[in-house]
Amino acid sequence: MLKPKTLSQILGEANTGGIQSTLLLNSTGALLSYSGKGEGDGQVIAAIVSNIWSVYEESGQSALLEDKLNFLLLDCENGRVCVTRVADVLLCLYAEPWVGLGILKTKAEALAQYLDEPIHHIASS
Amino acid sequence: MIEDATSYMQSVLESYRKDGLHAIAVTDRDGVPLLKVADAEIPEHALRQNFLSTFGMATDQANKLGIGKNKLMVFAYSNIQIILFNKHPLLVTLIASVNANTGLLLKLEEQLHSLVSCISSLVDA
Repeated sequence: MLKPKTLSQILGEANTGGIQSTLLLNSTGALLSYSGKGEGDGQVIAAIVSNIWSVYEESGQSALLEDKLNFLLLDCENGRVCVTRVADVLLCLYAEPWVGLGILKTKAEALAQYLDEPIHHIASS
Repeated sequence: MIEDATSYMQSVLESYRKDGLHAIAVTDRDGVPLLKVADAEIPEHALRQNFLSTFGMATDQANKLGIGKNKLMVFAYSNIQIILFNKHPLLVTLIASVNANTGLLLKLEEQLHSLVSCISSLVDA
């Protein structure tokens, strides 16, 4: 059984050291769970990153010999975004511009690894 | 001038090949390559316009995130990583092995800056 409040709390554990918000979204851009400041921003970020992800996953499969997209890092003037896959959903971390890309990626990897089994379980049931 | 620019990019590629860099491309927003150098290890379609053109779209999408202008993107696939520098009106694409040091490749932005600025001024003119 999925407990939305617990899931949100787990996502919130990544929100330290300049990470503003953590999102779990599906491949169509719908927000599944969110932890951080201003949920409205989360919905916009979810919609845009899922779109970029799906385009690059598709074009990577055709141009890069069926290569699978594992990570996406975006660096903008006022923030940084890291996206990775957990089971069949996407995990997205949105951070301040001074947060190192390495720590952002490492946090995303750690959280994805932690969430992988329970989300796989939900996806397969 | 184009020959000089290409030979400069070739020398940069040669010096970073041992670090896993396979290709450098300078394209316009539509993915039309202005300059490109590559070794034999990258997939044949990775430097085609229909693949490179998707990066302009991704940059435009990233600009809508509400966190300022997009500066760079990193796409990590299973075997290949693609680093994209937004140098409006041009895009610089680096294609490297997924094991290559991303931080080292990001430093290439400074090394390619003067070349890209020179080409940008010609494109703007």
